[in-house]
Amino acid sequence: MTYLGRAYLFAMLFFLYTPIVVMMAMGFNESSLYEMPFSFSTKWYEALYQNTPLLTSGMNSIIIAIITAVIATSLGTMAAVALERRTFRGKSLLQLLLLPPIAIPWLITGTAMLVFFYWSGIGRGMHALLIGHVALAIPYVVLVVGTGFKTIRADLEEAAMSLGSTPVHAFFAVTLPLLYPSIIGAALFAFAVSLDQFVISYFLATPGYTTLPVQIYSAIRKGFTPEINAISTLLLLGSMGAILIFARFAKPGDVSDKR
Amino acid sequence: MPSDLTTNTAVRGPSGPRTGWTPPQWVATTALLMPTYAWLTLAVLLPLLTMFCFSFLSATPMGKAPIVFTLKQYRAFIDQPYLLNIGWTSLVIGFWTTLLCAVFGFLAAVALSRATFGRMRETLLILILLPFWTNGLVRVFSWTMVLRENGFLDNLLHLVAPDAGSISFLYTRYAVVLGLVHGYLPYMILTCYIALITIDDAIIEAAVSLGARWWTVLFKILVPMAAPGLISGCVLIFVPVIGSFMEPRILGGKVGVTMGTVIEDQFTQAFNWPLGAALSFTLLAVVLAIFATFSGVLKRGAAA
Amino acid sequence: MTNVKVNSVAKTYGSVPVLRDITTEFPEGSFTSLLGPSGSGKTTLLRIVAGFIKPDEGIVMIGNSDVTEVPVWGRNIGMMFQSYALFPHMTVEQNVAFGLERRGIKGVEAKKQANQALEMVHLPDFGKRYPKQLSGGQQQRVALARAMVIKPSVLLLDEPLSALDRRLRQEMQVELLRIQRESGLTTIFVTHDQEEALTLSDKIAILDKGRIVQIGEPGEVYEKPLTRFAAEFLGDSNFLKGKVEGGAVRLADGTVVRASGALPADGADVTLAVRPEKMSVVSSLEEASNSIRARITTVIYAGQALSYLLVTPGGLQLKLFAQNKDGRVLSEGEVVTLAWSPEHTIAVAE
Repeated sequence: MTYLGRAYLFAMLFFLYTPIVVMMAMGFNESSLYEMPFSFSTKWYEALYQNTPLLTSGMNSIIIAIITAVIATSLGTMAAVALERRTFRGKSLLQLLLLPPIAIPWLITGTAMLVFFYWSGIGRGMHALLIGHVALAIPYVVLVVGTGFKTIRADLEEAAMSLGSTPVHAFFAVTLPLLYPSIIGAALFAFAVSLDQFVISYFLATPGYTTLPVQIYSAIRKGFTPEINAISTLLLLGSMGAILIFARFAKPGDVSDKR
Repeated sequence: MPSDLTTNTAVRGPSGPRTGWTPPQWVATTALLMPTYAWLTLAVLLPLLTMFCFSFLSATPMGKAPIVFTLKQYRAFIDQPYLLNIGWTSLVIGFWTTLLCAVFGFLAAVALSRATFGRMRETLLILILLPFWTNGLVRVFSWTMVLRENGFLDNLLHLVAPDAGSISFLYTRYAVVLGLVHGYLPYMILTCYIALITIDDAIIEAAVSLGARWWTVLFKILVPMAAPGLISGCVLIFVPVIGSFMEPRILGGKVGVTMGTVIEDQFTQAFNWPLGAALSFTLLAVVLAIFATFSGVLKRGAAA
Repeated sequence: MTNVKVNSVAKTYGSVPVLRDITTEFPEGSFTSLLGPSGSGKTTLLRIVAGFIKPDEGIVMIGNSDVTEVPVWGRNIGMMFQSYALFPHMTVEQNVAFGLERRGIKGVEAKKQANQALEMVHLPDFGKRYPKQLSGGQQQRVALARAMVIKPSVLLLDEPLSALDRRLRQEMQVELLRIQRESGLTTIFVTHDQEEALTLSDKIAILDKGRIVQIGEPGEVYEKPLTRFAAEFLGDSNFLKGKVEGGAVRLADGTVVRASGALPADGADVTLAVRPEKMSVVSSLEEASNSIRARITTVIYAGQALSYLLVTPGGLQLKLFAQNKDGRVLSEGEVVTLAWSPEHTIAVAE
């Protein structure tokens, strides 16, 4: 039974990774029509250098992802502090309000943002993308940092206070250093959420200011070229890297001697 | 160092206590929460409210056409019967995607929780979840590489049977479902796995010692006990799937017309925002109804 | 050195009273245990003295000052927690120096004092390690050093030994007592372990349902319990119910028992408590003793000691503890005469 189970798991992994590996491989195939036999070439990656729209949108994506990570992590961490360590009325309602960005299909959220931003004069473009991405990332940050909080015993702050710390000092001297792994994890998570976000970006981007996924989408709709494979490969490796680092940081319960 | 700020006023013992000014609890709490919720209000709640209002307008308030309040957008399903077909297509796609994810995902979760241990399990879990956090668009695009005529699948076939024709099924609903299953399967594996690892091995050993065969263990023990995870997984897959639009567009081509693509069209091609808004809210109503129905299970699933 | 007083302290959570009208004093240099079952309010009382909880009513005095409105960080207390609560991201030395830095003592001086404190708890070379590199007992010593190094006016211990295994716990008890005696610190110790309370304390306060039912020296509380609860919670007791009759008590089966101390008026219902180890099996009766006949129903052999469960003809269940002195064990079904001194027969409130 054990071997059958493992065989099944490897079959699942095969299913999950085959298309990705094929897609990546095709980025290294010389034929522009993905024709066989395979002949190795990096010309599509070289071609990326010349593809200004893709490069610009890629740069936009990274900039937006970084700003999103910074803003969402700051705001979300503050909210997580309040939600985890303070008691007040209406807390469960506030926790419920974190759900829409995660639970409502992005198509609905995205079109709603489009309508509101147009109607209110906020408009589309970089600032609109930022507003949207941060809103999507905040709930994940609250979740990740909140989970981090749960691994820190409340009596550590009490111990600090018994030794003369004010609550504010106890937070900065004791809780925050222990929370750093979670906060870094949350930032990476927010970065990945923003980098991978397509649906919302699709509605909020302008022809002059797009993100990489939006640019890839319009390229796909125009017709496939191995250049798309090349840039997609880079994008996938980028977000996989961020998630793997995240998995390393967010490992709960391990507060090692790193300061 | 924060301690520098407060050293001079440090504790003096009970004879001369000093407390400094600490803001009232509610001020601090509000200050901590305000930015997040103001942002969410601006970016999510107000937009949803605005779109709700738009869904009652007779036309997009862009041109010169007079705008009046109307309920006609919500009558679209009656006025334009083809929408019913499309809605049905979306539900069918949602159903099959969810069902396939449930069957394959649950079995994978069982295998993961019963046939692997320690480091191997950890590694497999990360490998399974990794694609889920990568760009969905790119993963959908990847399938075109496999499914297209003369793609990976055809090449594989021709290795075995060089003269066989093409078995490409890109631009069919099967391709759409396949792409969606690929996208959401890790979710199901995760929710089921979380539910399954809480089941004590002793329960299964007890059942086996009482003479239960593997299918009895599966259907009488594992499925019922992991039901919250299974149901959470189904809800969390069905909801985004019926709102999907890029998977049908890329993998379905001309047959890939779903509620998602119709809504997208209203905003990007037809510029009939009120209709798009009304359709969005109809979809949202379905989504909320599903959440409401399973809210109890979802809460327990989250606690597990 | 300072004493601690609480005056008419009350605390209610929602509609549940956790502490009701507590007034007591913890004298200078004393070691007082707050003993009670969970939910009795002992931890709440400690946390009110510490300042983590504000009482609804009443005042807390440390020394001569009213600290009721002073927050924890202004009270100069030393506290030990059940989970040790060492800061995992700081070295042992940094942990111990934390409170010093809050008092403006830094650098070399802080280091010196921290290491002195670590020497006091016999961990002189552990300063550079991190808490997770220490055993549970060592972590608890560090926690003690951290609480003591700031020269607090009062030491508060919230079940600090309960996470340790039995052997380590006894070792730490001795250590704790030594350091407390040397420093002369007023100490308040929360525990649910009666043996620990008896071993360590100058005074034991027994709490039940938010009230202190009895407070006194260990011997006094043990030998002269005031209530049935106190007699039962600290040690074991046999309870005999009867009516007062001519200065003695007549039990339901007619046995007349004499008790020490004052009894209520004739005709009143009364409950008498007798410790199981105060009873003994006798062959001939002495004039001054109380006695009752009973049949042995169960024999529990525990090596150095024996305990018997018995039942009287009247249906009264009794316990008897005996030292295993001559290796003679009574057998089940034997009918024996139990005798005990009136001095050990205490009337308790129900």
